[in-house]
Amino acid sequence: VAVAAPSEPKRRRAETRAGAGGPRYPAWLSLPALAWYVAFFVCPLGIMAVFSFSRREGFTDIVYDFNLENYKDLVDPLYGHVFTRTLGLAAVGTIATLVIGFPLAYYLARWAKHKTLLLLLVVVPFWTSILIRTYAWLIIFDPDFPVIGGLNLLYTTKAVYIGVVYTYLPLMVLPLYAALERLDWSLVEAAEDLGDGPLRAFRRITLPLAAPGIVAGSLLVFIPLMGEYLNPVLLGGDKTIYAGNLIGQQFLLSRDWPFGSAIAMVLILSMTVVVFVYSRMASREEAYGG
Amino acid sequence: MIDPGWERNVTRRGFVAAGAATAFLAACGGSSDSSSDDKGDSADKAKGPAKLAGTLHYYNWADYVNPETYKAFTTDTGVKIKKDFFVSNEELQAKLQGGARGFDLAAPTGYMVQILADAGLLEELNWSQLPTVEKNLDARFRKLPYDPDDKWSVPKDWGTTGFVYRSDLVKEKPTTWREFVDLTKGPYSGKVTVLDGIPECVGSMLCMLGYSYNSEDEGEIDKAKQELIDLKPHLLAITSTEYKQMLIDGKAVMALGWNGDGAAVAAKKPAEYVIAEEGGEFWVDAYVIPAGAKNPDAAHGWIDYVYEPKHNSLETEFTYYGSPVKRDLLEPVMDKKVFGNEDVFPPENTLEKLEPNAVTPEGTKLRDRAWTEFKAA
Repeated sequence: VAVAAPSEPKRRRAETRAGAGGPRYPAWLSLPALAWYVAFFVCPLGIMAVFSFSRREGFTDIVYDFNLENYKDLVDPLYGHVFTRTLGLAAVGTIATLVIGFPLAYYLARWAKHKTLLLLLVVVPFWTSILIRTYAWLIIFDPDFPVIGGLNLLYTTKAVYIGVVYTYLPLMVLPLYAALERLDWSLVEAAEDLGDGPLRAFRRITLPLAAPGIVAGSLLVFIPLMGEYLNPVLLGGDKTIYAGNLIGQQFLLSRDWPFGSAIAMVLILSMTVVVFVYSRMASREEAYGG
Repeated sequence: MIDPGWERNVTRRGFVAAGAATAFLAACGGSSDSSSDDKGDSADKAKGPAKLAGTLHYYNWADYVNPETYKAFTTDTGVKIKKDFFVSNEELQAKLQGGARGFDLAAPTGYMVQILADAGLLEELNWSQLPTVEKNLDARFRKLPYDPDDKWSVPKDWGTTGFVYRSDLVKEKPTTWREFVDLTKGPYSGKVTVLDGIPECVGSMLCMLGYSYNSEDEGEIDKAKQELIDLKPHLLAITSTEYKQMLIDGKAVMALGWNGDGAAVAAKKPAEYVIAEEGGEFWVDAYVIPAGAKNPDAAHGWIDYVYEPKHNSLETEFTYYGSPVKRDLLEPVMDKKVFGNEDVFPPENTLEKLEPNAVTPEGTKLRDRAWTEFKAA
């Protein structure tokens, strides 16, 4: 779900740049990536689309008779409930990482002395498998763990939210930093010299200029969060399901690949719409900012 | 995975043997024993066991084999072992159906043997390469309903689904599902886990309500679902892999789970495994050779090797699941404590209450829906 979508706004921006008279690169350079996407993204997506219109028979057989049953089955308060909950997780996760990540990125970009070292520290968690890092949280949430253990967070929804913010924070910080790094701080100083208070200067200068970073970071966090699977299973004790878990359950437990595919298709389509609308809105902001 | 007990974390997640209990309970039917003699033809037998070499790619539940057995097998036969693990029968099926090839040996649950065989995802066994199995397999475990001709599978071990409790922390001595549920909603709220298994949870609740483990009645399944939903706020976690360690640590004091895990907890801490009075599930896990196996000789070699009573005892002492080898052959070689442990080898009259998982696609669909509602609640 998450792999290709984030590239959408980037690709669009690249086109804009080429159109704006930038250097022209030979198109064949993109062939390996294109082949990769076609083979491992477009094809599986196509297979899933076909699956979603088919029907399971018995325990193993899939009957390819074009029908809309799976989608009809999805119109059900039960699944609406799961989607709403997932949307809540993704929205809260995105806002929380933004609120926590922005000051850090701001500090890194504007004042930090040892930028490289600090940036490295942001990236260091990626050196360890996400699975192991999530398991580490189990130790921290353990009732026997000092201080935090006393909060009784283990296997609760709160634990899922904390895990999610932890997991996705670097994905928010890095694009924010990239945007703020390029920011010309003399503009902010000029605004202040001309009578803007720090807050007003922040709102009128810094925020619009950081918008591309906010957009990129939000998409990088929001989209994978809509398919979040691991944190609910490990930190939530698998007690609450989100869309990703629902899809996983269809494929691995219920073995109803057609229905699982239909859920995935709906998720992908709604994400595409979100990305499209969001990046359109953002590009307008970007135009203002530029 | 992180706890000190990881090396013994038997994460077997079985669902069950279609109809196995019935056959199993028709215990000691001697006729099937003699009929198995004409299986391997004499010409094949004359060749003797195939020479083993290369690598055995074994796809299994995690930590479901005594590490000693791996070592001894490699030393004795020269065959190296490559291991891969699945967490559910359905995952195994999904992989094989998705086209994964090259596994030489796997150990799914009975009902899955049938599904895989029907889907053409298994290789037929060559019984001439299994003389030790022929000799030592208990007659009760031959021709089980999920594999009536012993064509595709050889039993690995067997067990039951019930519940475990820490007898030092739970004083009420529960013996029924109803008590399990009431205690979970009462004094032990937040300290109980259930398996992440659809048939196990729904089936156990059905038994509690006085229905069949395999009920396909929508109203009955609905009531079982409601019991689960009411139970949910009081659960610590829904897990098939972590509950054993949680019980040992005392984070959980009760768990809906499998007998082997129960016995393993009891080996470390005061604990009781209970086959609930209302009934429950009986299952058999079996060795099969997945389609496209590269080294079926080594797979046959492994199965035959572990059917030596000595080797099989090692397995039982490690997993705490029942051995399908004839009891009189096990007696002299198995640890007395394990051999006489009623959690590992439940007595006949207890087993009579149990049913194997035998649900149909329709029943499965109803259960899946109930499970989603339970999880989404």
